[in-house]
Amino acid sequence: MATTTLSPRAESYRRSWVLDWLTTVDHKKIGVLYILNSFLFFFAAGILALVLRSELAVPGLQFLDERTYNEAFTMHGTIMIFLFVVPVLAGFANYIVPLQIGAPDMAFPRINALSFWLLPLGGLLIFSGYLFGGAAAEGWTSYNPLSNKTYAPGVGTDLWIIGLSLVGTASILGAVNFIATIFKMRAPGMTLFRMPIFVWTVLVTATLILLATPVLTAGLIMLFIDRNYGGSFFEPAAGGNPILWQHIFWFFGHPEVYIVILPAMGVVSEILPVFSRKPLFGYKAFVFATIGIGLLSFSVWAHHMFTTGVVFLPFFTFMTALIAVPTGVKMFNWLATMWRGALVFTTPMLFAIGFISMFLIGGISGVVLASAPIDFHLQDTYFVVAHLHYVFFGGSVFGVFAATYFWFPKMTGRRLNERLGKIHFWLHFIGFNLAFFPMHSLGILGMPRRIADYSPNAGWTIYNLISTFGAFVIAISIVPFLINVVATLINGERVGDDPWEANTLEWATTSPPPPYNFDRLPPVRSERPVFDLRHRHVDEPGHAIVAETEAQP
Amino acid sequence: MRRFAAGTRVRSVLRVAVPLVLIFLLGGCLMPPTPETTQARDVFNLYILVLALGAVVFVAVEGMIVYSIFRYRRRDDRLPRQIHGNTVVEIIWTAIPTVIVLVLFTFSTLTLARTEAKAQNPLTIEVDGFQWQWTFRYLDANYTVTGTPTNPPVMGLPVNQPIRLILKSNDVIHSFYVPHFLVKRDVIPFPPGQPLNQLEFTVTDEGTYAGQCAEFCGDLHARMTFTVQAMSNAKYQQWLADAKAGKSPPPAASVAPGAAEAKLVAKGIAFDQQKLEVPANQAFSLTLDNQDTVQHNVSISKGQQVLFRGELVAGGKSMKYQVPALPPGDYVFQCDVHPIPAMTGAITAK
Repeated sequence: MATTTLSPRAESYRRSWVLDWLTTVDHKKIGVLYILNSFLFFFAAGILALVLRSELAVPGLQFLDERTYNEAFTMHGTIMIFLFVVPVLAGFANYIVPLQIGAPDMAFPRINALSFWLLPLGGLLIFSGYLFGGAAAEGWTSYNPLSNKTYAPGVGTDLWIIGLSLVGTASILGAVNFIATIFKMRAPGMTLFRMPIFVWTVLVTATLILLATPVLTAGLIMLFIDRNYGGSFFEPAAGGNPILWQHIFWFFGHPEVYIVILPAMGVVSEILPVFSRKPLFGYKAFVFATIGIGLLSFSVWAHHMFTTGVVFLPFFTFMTALIAVPTGVKMFNWLATMWRGALVFTTPMLFAIGFISMFLIGGISGVVLASAPIDFHLQDTYFVVAHLHYVFFGGSVFGVFAATYFWFPKMTGRRLNERLGKIHFWLHFIGFNLAFFPMHSLGILGMPRRIADYSPNAGWTIYNLISTFGAFVIAISIVPFLINVVATLINGERVGDDPWEANTLEWATTSPPPPYNFDRLPPVRSERPVFDLRHRHVDEPGHAIVAETEAQP
Repeated sequence: MRRFAAGTRVRSVLRVAVPLVLIFLLGGCLMPPTPETTQARDVFNLYILVLALGAVVFVAVEGMIVYSIFRYRRRDDRLPRQIHGNTVVEIIWTAIPTVIVLVLFTFSTLTLARTEAKAQNPLTIEVDGFQWQWTFRYLDANYTVTGTPTNPPVMGLPVNQPIRLILKSNDVIHSFYVPHFLVKRDVIPFPPGQPLNQLEFTVTDEGTYAGQCAEFCGDLHARMTFTVQAMSNAKYQQWLADAKAGKSPPPAASVAPGAAEAKLVAKGIAFDQQKLEVPANQAFSLTLDNQDTVQHNVSISKGQQVLFRGELVAGGKSMKYQVPALPPGDYVFQCDVHPIPAMTGAITAK
């Protein structure tokens, strides 16, 4: 029976696809795992949001008691930020960055797998408080002394600390991996200033994670010591200072905002040029604006603490408002990219335009909050809730959906149905504004955040009712999205390698890409190598591109 | 084209009118409450300035987005001009937000200097935030009022008189917030030696203004409400006298020596017992041993009717209440400060 064969098939061994996905170190599969895991947590935290909004629809406690309400908003915030927005963008980065720089995989594939698998573990630990006498209920900011053992004796808070430390560690590992990959594994010819903008934003984001997240982890460990081993970092009676926690938390927490928004800006900066058929206007300015936002983000943390009375207000007002400059530059770059372009409104383009128009509102309300005297009125009211949702939801989540529709054909070879996609977008856009715009009014009228109930005489009922209605419209908008994903996976239109006529290297390989991504790489002579390939000698106006359908080399 | 002239005119009117109406409506729901202190007026004016700047930016940028969407829709398959950038334009649009930021910063700093100025002889009230209510101590008038979630306190204030609040907490962080004053300040348990936060303002108009805690402080955060009642100085003096008179101690029940005794221990924001039994038709004593750091009390009620309300007992203290006789039946006892299930129980008189 001593037969030998040279067929490669004989050498590949069979294993179940479950085991394959559980043990994979392929950046694309890990990316998909990140995205799926993040969406599961998104749906869980979204259901919590519906519970919160239902309770607030009208005055009186209808569904929850105060404790359950507090647990629900704490879990909603924690999960949305740490287990949805950050990891889902990390998932897209995992999938796309090696492709965009022409690399076969991430620099450290096993660390990549580890940093993914810490996430579901951390997330389940955070949620598991519900099984042990109640989840953490101190808000995602977990201010001390409220979070110390005296006022939060439950084990839910300890589980929250441990789970979050794991999620933070996952982020740090991922950041190291991205930085190494981007610096060491770029294709020949791809200088730093020829990298796709998405790669730039991921690079800056990874740097922010590397500098900010260890600070949070240190703070969490201090809190854990205070709670369980008689520490007194934050304990005023023993000479500690509860304000120290706020400094630590926000020194991480504000860069975190940019960790969440920069990759989404990167996504939008990939999508707008493709569907405007123009290069990104002011590429270098955009890169410097991204770096500038990253640097400034470490000098603004105390604007979350204006009302504590212990921070130097003019400095933090100035630095915070200054962030509007690089952000404004980006806004103008996007506008100028669309200006005199040839715009086509596919679903990813709609979500990208949705991003810039909604993020603008979040940016303006951020500048309003930067002014200390105005912040004295608006801090800790629903105005802040509105502002952060216009940034996180109107910004990042619109970016996430733009990325989903844009790269779905790359990941699966099939394009999501455009009609369902547009229904999703419009419901999402309308629901979002109904849910969150009235919160500006609530905050300006003085409704504090994180209250389970309010007086019927306060004049807040109508805005709350509209907001709750909007929340359910958002929830309904997810239905066509899910139907679309399932239907497309089963029976979607196969669209080839480059359905959007896009610019960057991921479109130069097959859809989905093979293991190790590329057989051959096209030459990289600008930030749009695939565009260059398609239009070899075209840089004059009015040139017809119909004829330029030459295949890849 | 001629045929469409009328339609075009209507459309161009609409193009101006619709955004204006929208801005007017949106601006309407972005107006703060009427400012009722001198400081709040300054903040209000600053807010209007910032809102106007924001509206200009909003309209300009969203206008350009909407214009691009309609004007530059793809009409054929030709490639538009590939413009990579323009240094002059980019410098201009870096300068625009920089100027806006500087204007905003200057006005904010000027306003801040005015609103944070200290007055000469303010009326000083110590505000003590605790889980979950407020104590107001009128230091010059020897009057103290403590609220409960079901019975929030009233802060009477004279108008046109500078007020200074000294903000004190012995448990977690709270925040003193009156929307009509357009200001809040955190009430923080600072370590010993660090000065307490203060808040100064001068109320300009008589009226009743709602206030509540703005910093999340635990289970009953939403019920840390209070009311500020601003009145003329004469009315204020009368109010203060009435308030002081109304605070006479509750009539002491005569408890026979050797009468029944009940005891409750409060620890970890919970009572050690949820069921008590006392003899009916006979006054008894009830000891509250407060082993927490926050204050508690005990009140006994039947339905809506409160039959006995014990004084607040500070953290680490113990107090023996004298409770008047109860007819046979089932009653409910609770801590008014923390009316949560763990601090509620049944008391039976028989």
